[in-house]
Amino acid sequence: MTIKSSVTSTAFSRRGFLGFAAAAASAPLLAACGGGSASQSGGGSGVIKFWDMPWATPAYNDAAKKIAEGYAPASGNLKASYQTIQWNNFYQTFSSAIASKTGPAVSTGGGFQAFQFAQQGQIAYADKVVDDLKKNGMYDDFLPGVLDPFKSDKGYVAVPWQLDMRVFWYRKSLFEKAGVALPTDWPTLLEAGKALKKVGAFGFTTGSGAGNNYGNHSMIMMMVNNGGGVFTKDGELDVMNDRNVEAIEFILELVSNGIVDPAAVSYTTDNMSAQWKDKKAGFGLFQVNVPQRVGDTSGDLLVADPITGPHGDKATIVFPNNIMMYTNTPSQASSEAFLVAYLGQLKELWRQKLMSALPVFKSITELPEFASDPNNVKIVNDWQPIAKTFASQGNTLNANLAVLDGGQALNQFTQTILTGKTDAKSALQTFQSGLQSVLKK
Amino acid sequence: MSAVVHAHPQSGPVLGVTGKPNRALSDAGLRGRWWRFALILAITAVVLVPIMVTVVLAVTPGPTSTATGFTLENFGSVFSETLASTWLQNSLITTLSTVTVAVAVAAPAGYVLSRGRSKAVSGYSLLLFVMQSLPIITSVVPLFILFAGMGLVDNLMGLTIIYVGSTMTVATWMMAAYFDSIPISLEEASWIDGCSVFGSFTKVVLRNSLPGVLSTAIFAFLLAWNDYLVAIVFLRSTEIFTLPMGVQSFFQQNQTDWTSVMALAVVMMLPPIIVFAALNKYFSVGGIGGSLAGR
Amino acid sequence: MALTTAQTGLSRARRGVAPGGSGKPANRKSKLSSQTRKTFFWLLLPSVVLLVLIHGYPLVYAGVQATHDGSLLDTGEFVGLENFANVLSSEAFWKAARFTLLFTIVGVFGSWLLGLGLALLLRTKIPAGGLFKVLLLLPWVVPVVVSSTAWNWLVGTPDSLIPSIFRNLGLGTPLFLADPTLAAITVMVFKVWISFPFMMMMTSAALASVDTTVYEAASMDGASRWQQFSQLTLPLIARSTYISWILMTIFCVNDFPTIYLLTGGGPVDATTSLVVLAYRTVFQDFQTGPGVAIAFLMTITLVVVSVILYRQIRKSSVE
Repeated sequence: MTIKSSVTSTAFSRRGFLGFAAAAASAPLLAACGGGSASQSGGGSGVIKFWDMPWATPAYNDAAKKIAEGYAPASGNLKASYQTIQWNNFYQTFSSAIASKTGPAVSTGGGFQAFQFAQQGQIAYADKVVDDLKKNGMYDDFLPGVLDPFKSDKGYVAVPWQLDMRVFWYRKSLFEKAGVALPTDWPTLLEAGKALKKVGAFGFTTGSGAGNNYGNHSMIMMMVNNGGGVFTKDGELDVMNDRNVEAIEFILELVSNGIVDPAAVSYTTDNMSAQWKDKKAGFGLFQVNVPQRVGDTSGDLLVADPITGPHGDKATIVFPNNIMMYTNTPSQASSEAFLVAYLGQLKELWRQKLMSALPVFKSITELPEFASDPNNVKIVNDWQPIAKTFASQGNTLNANLAVLDGGQALNQFTQTILTGKTDAKSALQTFQSGLQSVLKK
Repeated sequence: MSAVVHAHPQSGPVLGVTGKPNRALSDAGLRGRWWRFALILAITAVVLVPIMVTVVLAVTPGPTSTATGFTLENFGSVFSETLASTWLQNSLITTLSTVTVAVAVAAPAGYVLSRGRSKAVSGYSLLLFVMQSLPIITSVVPLFILFAGMGLVDNLMGLTIIYVGSTMTVATWMMAAYFDSIPISLEEASWIDGCSVFGSFTKVVLRNSLPGVLSTAIFAFLLAWNDYLVAIVFLRSTEIFTLPMGVQSFFQQNQTDWTSVMALAVVMMLPPIIVFAALNKYFSVGGIGGSLAGR
Repeated sequence: MALTTAQTGLSRARRGVAPGGSGKPANRKSKLSSQTRKTFFWLLLPSVVLLVLIHGYPLVYAGVQATHDGSLLDTGEFVGLENFANVLSSEAFWKAARFTLLFTIVGVFGSWLLGLGLALLLRTKIPAGGLFKVLLLLPWVVPVVVSSTAWNWLVGTPDSLIPSIFRNLGLGTPLFLADPTLAAITVMVFKVWISFPFMMMMTSAALASVDTTVYEAASMDGASRWQQFSQLTLPLIARSTYISWILMTIFCVNDFPTIYLLTGGGPVDATTSLVVLAYRTVFQDFQTGPGVAIAFLMTITLVVVSVILYRQIRKSSVE
C-alpha cells in the first residue's frame, strides 16, 4: 500500500487540472469573439493570399497558380500568393482559418460561401471591383445575367468567374440503337426512356451517393423546368407549389418505369461517370465537358436540346462560381487590384482547355479553343440563356441556398424520390419541414 | 505468487486440439492441420479481395499506356508526376515523431497509473477515456483556432502534437496495462539498492517492457499514418501533405485514372505492412492484447 | 478440482500484480511517499498537459457551442439546453441513435467473434501461420480512403463484381448500397472487415500470455474441449476481452470515415450514425449548436457504457 497512500494524499493532479481547465475555458470565448491580434492578418507578410479550389485536373491549378503568382501589381499594391484548398471539408477549412485570422484575402470556393461569410461580417464587398470593371470595359463583356445574383442590399458579395451549368447529355449510338428520337418535352422524355430501357440503358441518369449532388440538382432542375422551384421571387420558401408536385410526380413515374437506374440512389460521381463511359447512360443531367470527364471523346456523347415542360417552361439550373474578398486583408486596395487583374487573365484557362465550366465573359466563349467544341457552343447558345440559379424564381442568391445545396433536407428528399417508395406530396412535405427547421429567417 | 507468467508467456494449444503439445503428431492431427490450413487459406482469400482489387488495378496499364498485362509504370508516373515521394517523407516524419513522443509521454503516465493505485489516479485513468470520447470532427475547429494562434498550422509539428494527443489516451492505458504485468518486486529490489523511483522506472521497468512499448508504438503508428480528418483541415500546402491527404487530393483530381490512384494507394499500404511483418514475432509474444490481458 | 485451483491461481496472479503487495516497513513508506509524489508529478505532467490541450480544450469549446445559438465563427446567444431539447425530440436523432447502436453491436461482436476464431486457429500449428497472421492484418492497415474505394468498386453498381456473381448464381442483382437494408448490412460488414484484425491481434496476444499448464491439468481431469474453452480460455482472457470491447465500442461509435466514405449516410438516412448526423448538421446544415449537442449526447452515452465495461474489468480481475 506504500505508493497508493502517497498519491491519495496529493491533490496536485486535480488542482493542476482545474487550473488548466479554467484557462482553457476562457480561450474559446475570446477566440469566438474575434479577439485575434492584428499581427496575424490575412496577408501575413504583406501578400494577398489567394485560395483556389481544385476545379479541374492538377494542370488547372498549376495554370491558375502561374497567373496569380505572375501578377505584377502597380506600385503600392501587394503581390499575390496562391494556395489550393481541397474540396473535402472545405467549409471547415475556411471557417477555422477565418476564425483564427489565418484565412485568405481573396478566394474561390463553394457557390454560396460568399453569402454565408457575408452574413457573418467576413466579406469585403466588391462594389469597387465592379466599378473598375465598368471602367475597363470588362463589365460589358459579362454574359447576360451572370453578375446580378451577387448583388445584395449591402453591395456585391462576390464576382462570378465561371458558370457550372447543368445540361442534358445523350449518347447518340444508344438512341440510334433504340430507334427513338431525342426528347423535346416530358412525354417524349418518358418515351425515349422506355425505348432506351429496351436496349439496356437508362434515360434519366443521375446519382445521389456519398458526396454526389447531381441527384439533388436533377430534382431542382426538373422543378425549375416546370416553372417551379424552392423559393418564390421574394425568397420565401415555396416547396409545395403545384408545379413542383407535378415535376416530382413525373420523376417518380420515370423511377417506377425503370428509366432511372435503381442503384442511382447510391451512385457517387465516379459511379455516374462510369455509367456514361460504359454505355449504360443514354440521357441525363450532367456538367460541361462530360466527354473529357468520363474519358470518351469519340464524339458519341453530345449535348441535348433543352426540354420544354408541360406548361411551356424551359429552364435549367446553373451555379455561378465566384471570387470573393475578405475583410481580413493586409490591404483592401491590393485585394481589389488583384481581383480585377486576375479576372482579366481568366481567358488563359479556357485557352488551355483546362476548365469544365462555362466562362462568364462573352469574349472567352468566342475563343477558337472554346468555340471549336460544338458541345460548348450549344451550351452557350441554347442553355445559358435559360439557366436559373438555385434561388429558382428569385434573382439574387443568399446564404440559405448553401443549406439547400449541401444540406440534409434536399439530399434525403432526393434519395427518397430515387428509391421511389413515396408519393410526391408527402415527400415534398417532409422536404419543406426539413428546410424550415434549418433555414435562417 | 508472482505474475512472471504473464511477462513470459508460453505457447501451446488452446482448444486442446493438438492434444498434449509434446506428443508426436498423429495422422488425425496432421490431417487436422491441413484442414485448418485450407480453412484459413479460404478465409484469407475472401478477406483480401478488396485489397487484391487495389493491387491489381495498380499494376494494370493506365488509360494512356501502351503496355499490356502487368506493368509497374503507374508507380513510376505517380512518383514523377506527383509529390508522392515528398508526401511519403512527410508521413514518415510525422508518424515516427508521433510514435516516439507518444511512447515518451504515455510510458511515464502509464507507470503512474499502474503503480499509483489511488482514487485520484484511477480517476485520471477514467478521465483519459472520457476526454477522448468526443469525436474528432467536433474538435478539429477549436484545435485549429488554438494552434493557429501558436503558428502551428500548415505545419507538420502541429499535426504531430495533435496525433500525440489523440493517441496518448489509449497509449497510456496500454502502457499501464503492460506495467501491471511487471512484478513490483523487481523495483523493490532496485530501491533497496538505492535507485530512485525514476531510476527504477527507466532502468528496471522500461527495460523489461519492450512488447508493451512496441504494441503502443504500433497503435500510434497506425493512427498517425492513416489519419486524414485532421490533416485535411490543418495542412494546406501540397508540399507538406501527408500521404492520406495526397491520396485524397489525387483521388479527387484524377477520377478517371484509377490505375495511378491505386498505385499511390499501394505505396501507402507498404510501410505499415513492412512494420507489421517485421514486428510480427513480438505480437505472438504478447502484443497489445497480451499486455492488456496481463493487467 | 484441478480446474478450480488453476483458476484461482491464475486469477490471483492476474490481480497479484497489484502494486504494494503486502506489508512494508513503516519508515520506508513515508520516505517513499514524498519522493514518489514528486516523481509521479513529473511523470504524469506531459500527459496532463496534452490531455487538457488536445481533449480538454475542445471539450470545453464544444460545451460552449452546444449551449449557444451560434455558428462556427461566432458564439451567438446563450440558449441553455434548448439545443439538447430540440435534438432529443427530433426523429432523425433517434433513428441515428438506433443505427449507431446496431452498428456498434455488430461491429464489436462481429469483429470479436471473427477475430477470436482466427486467433484460435492461428494459435494451432498451421503451415505458413506467420504469413497468414500478417496478411489478415491488412484490412486494418489499409487506409479507409483506399478500402472504401475498393469496396465501392466491388459492390457499387449492378455491374460491379459481387452483384455480377450473385446474378450469375441466379440470386438476382442485389443493390448493396442502394437498398436501405442492404446498405446498412454492407456498412456493418465493411466495419467488421476493417476491425476484425484488431480483435484478432488482441485475442492472439491474450492467448499467448495464458499459462498452458492449466490445459494439461484440465485435460487430465477429462474436461472436454468446449469445457476447456468456455471455462478456462474465455475466463482467462476475460480482461483483455473487456478492454478490446471498450476500445472497439469507442472506435465504432466514433467512426466517421467508414460510413461517410462508403454511403455518405444514405440511402435516406439508412446508414446515418450519430457522428455522421453531427457532421452533416454542423457542416452541411450549418447548425453548429444542435450538431455539437448531438456529439455531446453521444459522448455522454459512450462514457456511461465505457464506465460500465470498465467496472466489469475491475470485477473480472478481483473475482
